[in-house]
Amino acid sequence: MNFSLLSSEMLAAGLGTGLLILGLIAPKTENRRGFGYITAFGLLAVLVATFFQYGINQSTFHELWIVDDYSVFMKQVFIVAAILVVLSAVDFVETLPRFRGEFFALIVYALLGMMVMASANDLITIYVGLELMTITFFVLVAYQLGDGRSSEAGIKYLILGSVSSAVLLYGMSILYGLTGTTTIPEMLTKLTWSPILVVAIVMLIGGFGFKISLVPFHMWSPDIYEGAPTPITAFLAVASKAAGFAVMVRVFLLGLPLEGAVDWMLLISLLAGITMVIGNVVAIPQTNIKRMLAYSSVAQAGYMIAGLMSMDAPGVKGILFYSMIYVVANVGAFTVATLVRRALDTDTIADYAGLGQRQPLLASTLTICLLSLAGIPPLSGFVGKFYIFQAVMDKGILWPAFVGFVMSMISVYYYLNVALYMWRDDPKDDRPVPVPGPAKLVIVLSLVVTVVLGVYPGPLGELATMAAKSLF
Amino acid sequence: MGFPLLTIALLAPIIGALILMFVPEDEHRTIKGISAFFTGISLILSLVAYFGYDFALGGYQFVEDLVWIKEIGVTYAMGVDGISLPMLLLTNLIGFSAVFASWNVNKRPKTFFVLLLLLIAGVMGTFISRDLFIFFLFYEVVVIPLYIMVVIWGSTKRVTKEYAGMKLTIYLLIGSAFLLVGVIALYLNAFPVGERTFLIEKLAQAQMSDSFQIFAFLLLLIGFGSLLSMFPFHSWSPDGYAGAPTAVSMIHAGVLKKIGGYGLIRIGLLVLPVGAKFWAPVIAVLAVCNVAYAAMIALAQKDLKYVVGYSSVSHMGYVLIGFAALNVIGINGAIANMFAHGVMSALFFAMIGFVYEKTHTRWIPDMGGLAHQMPRAAIGLMMAGMASLGLPGLVSFIPEFTIFIGAFKVYPVLATICISAIIITALYTLRALANVLFGPRRPEFDQYQDAKGPELVPLVVLGSVLVLAGFFPSLLMDMVNSGVEPMLKPLMDTLNSAPAIGGGF
Amino acid sequence: MLKEYLAISMFFIVALLIPVAVIFISRLVAPKKTTPEKEEVYECGVDTVGDTWIRFKTSYFLYALVFVVFDVETVFLYPWAVQFQQLGTFAFVEMFIFIAILVVGFWYAWKEGALEWK
Repeated sequence: MNFSLLSSEMLAAGLGTGLLILGLIAPKTENRRGFGYITAFGLLAVLVATFFQYGINQSTFHELWIVDDYSVFMKQVFIVAAILVVLSAVDFVETLPRFRGEFFALIVYALLGMMVMASANDLITIYVGLELMTITFFVLVAYQLGDGRSSEAGIKYLILGSVSSAVLLYGMSILYGLTGTTTIPEMLTKLTWSPILVVAIVMLIGGFGFKISLVPFHMWSPDIYEGAPTPITAFLAVASKAAGFAVMVRVFLLGLPLEGAVDWMLLISLLAGITMVIGNVVAIPQTNIKRMLAYSSVAQAGYMIAGLMSMDAPGVKGILFYSMIYVVANVGAFTVATLVRRALDTDTIADYAGLGQRQPLLASTLTICLLSLAGIPPLSGFVGKFYIFQAVMDKGILWPAFVGFVMSMISVYYYLNVALYMWRDDPKDDRPVPVPGPAKLVIVLSLVVTVVLGVYPGPLGELATMAAKSLF
Repeated sequence: MGFPLLTIALLAPIIGALILMFVPEDEHRTIKGISAFFTGISLILSLVAYFGYDFALGGYQFVEDLVWIKEIGVTYAMGVDGISLPMLLLTNLIGFSAVFASWNVNKRPKTFFVLLLLLIAGVMGTFISRDLFIFFLFYEVVVIPLYIMVVIWGSTKRVTKEYAGMKLTIYLLIGSAFLLVGVIALYLNAFPVGERTFLIEKLAQAQMSDSFQIFAFLLLLIGFGSLLSMFPFHSWSPDGYAGAPTAVSMIHAGVLKKIGGYGLIRIGLLVLPVGAKFWAPVIAVLAVCNVAYAAMIALAQKDLKYVVGYSSVSHMGYVLIGFAALNVIGINGAIANMFAHGVMSALFFAMIGFVYEKTHTRWIPDMGGLAHQMPRAAIGLMMAGMASLGLPGLVSFIPEFTIFIGAFKVYPVLATICISAIIITALYTLRALANVLFGPRRPEFDQYQDAKGPELVPLVVLGSVLVLAGFFPSLLMDMVNSGVEPMLKPLMDTLNSAPAIGGGF
Repeated sequence: MLKEYLAISMFFIVALLIPVAVIFISRLVAPKKTTPEKEEVYECGVDTVGDTWIRFKTSYFLYALVFVVFDVETVFLYPWAVQFQQLGTFAFVEMFIFIAILVVGFWYAWKEGALEWK
């Protein structure tokens, strides 16, 4: 039993609990601004700690827990997302009537759940991590006390999330019934074709598909994204989705054999194609920026899951790289949405009119981040798509690349629609849109990282390659 | 590595754009001055490159190599040869003129010039990069500034500027999606894992099966063809130009479109000769459609910008048929004609933009006798018009002539149709110009002043190139030939033996 | 394999049949004399007062949650206590951390007023 493999999770758990205790000790009258900074620095420390876990590639607790480069990379994706969200939320939290300190503690606990998912090598451990993450999100989504839409979103997420977890758990239990083991690598050798395995795989895809909002399990995401507090929407859209991918890749590539068992790839590729098309097409008529981003994130899930079709290290590398840049670009976009909502009290795209003159920094960041999501060179989203579809094409499968690239060019239509309002029109009134310090840091970071990784993706690409190779 | 001339030329507009971001919004003169200065640097450097090119040495010169993404074999490789030099020069000539053609932009000039400089840098990058990946990065950099410029500073006439901008953007992007699939397929097929590279000259040495070349070339043809406004992917072009502000029309018609032709030659022909040969007859037929069909539509237009828009579609047909001939003369003509058309259409749009700025109309029946009030602008329009119909002594006569010689050998019937379409070209150009410039003096235009000061720069710069290259065609043709001949010679055997679609009709 | 399941399925079928049969037979045999008293909803033998669809005080749920947490704690504590001698110091420290985390939670619940009936 090697407890050092758990070090980063222990740090995160300590941080979360410490924040909770701090909230009990600190006088109630004091505002919780400092908590945000403490959380951000603490998470930064955890991020640094994870760098020491590269190259370990060991499992412990009877193979229940694995620390390979893949899991470390994924954990870093989550931590980066959490840091950015925390910083962008510092000023948002001040507007909350109660429970300000707990907000950050809950984010850390959700992060902990994701980290457990990334390192889980066993179905039950996966489920524990998944539930830790999901249940924390139930609370976070409904965090805006007194706001009906937030509570509604919370209840919806509670019901739908529980159902999806139940479906997933049922699928897992069938797998256990078929193989007598819950360890993923052991499953690989024991599975053979049977009709019940089909049921299990469909249920697994349904359960994970809910987390990563794969069509047709995506219905929840627009409603919940719209209702949840914007920083939480960002966290939900990026980190929880990335966590879903982290698990899905491990379970499907390492746990479910294709030869002599069920051809799950057929189903996955079908869903990937449908997701790319539906996500982008339905995003076009949206008038609310959060709903638009919700559908766009559905489409992004389609691109990412297409990377699974290559079934090899380059494809996984594409998924890893894409999740990182997806996190950065999406958090940038959502942070702008947070600030605009705070200043102008609106999420409607038409109300972004004249943002280019009000706050050129916000408008440029939103434009750049959206275009990166659309995959326009030389922004990082393009490189991510390139990695994914290049890997798939290398296996001789051409159609995902056609669908993916054409749909991503169609997505430019609705992304540019936002740019149109921001840059063409004049502001409707002269209310200022203030950009507080920590949020400015997030915005500048996401802008710079999105551009730099697009122009010079080398180092991150190599890190992702190393991480992907550790799986095979 | 010596003096990084190309990188500096490329970075100058980008640095200019960065500096502009810190200039206060209302310092209009400073903003325009800075833009002119940095595009001027690029222009001077590209002139240095053009006249410093060593013919004896040939091949790529001013080469810069820097490993960029080692993992997938991307190199920051810059270099120019006889094909890309005219394009580089053209870009900077037009970029520099476009800054002056936008001298009267007073609506949010800061944003305008930042985007304009980015646009110029993007176009320049495609012509000087020797790496397919970097080429593609620059290729798409241009699309977004273009869109934003059209929707903010464009004009709504027959179609709204939003429609025009979006049509232009979506056409180009969907085309580029096909192109991208083609490029990736090319990259994956050329070499096995580990040796993969995006360097165009390395890709050209790869052994690829005939069927793959035919497939990949089709994808490139759709991508580059829609950029070049090849029939039937041309309909964005007149609408787009009509909606766009002057500088964007100039750059788009002048150089951006040429990326399509340049890409077809540089990547399509050089890397996929068998594919090029296979599809050449199709290209030739589509080229004739371009030439004849667009010319006839131009005849019916009443908006001056639409006339030039369709005329530019028609002229691209010449480039395409020159390309489809797949011989040295034809390709020479195609590249030279891209240069010629670039200069002339940029001048055309600059002058139309100037006239429109003053009179607020482009509707031909509403105009007339403008030569009385604006003699200088009239000279510019006349020069561009005469070049458009291929008057000897101006830039486009020799290239068009060369194209016909090249194409006639291969496609006698199609070339004849193309040549006869020149009559229609003459008809619509002369008719439009006569109605706008000549005729009785109209008193309502008396209040408008002729071009003066900075407004004259586009006329002087582009006009002198028009005449200079017309009188000394060897300045252009020698350069082009020095690039095409060594490139095409080793391919001749492949080209001659490869099959063409339907037996070449 | 299937034979083993046969017994179980028989069991299920019989288990299903018996209640169905009982309900059906009682329907047939029982006398049908309804009075208003009999029509009443049965609730602990006491007459219902007012609407049954009312909102409960959330404090019930808070109590229930805190109760469940410590209920589960005992599930872990009993085996630990029984095997305490064999498990050694490591398990002692581990259980200590476990209880400490729960205590933080309890502290939090207390301070936030979950245990006060307001």
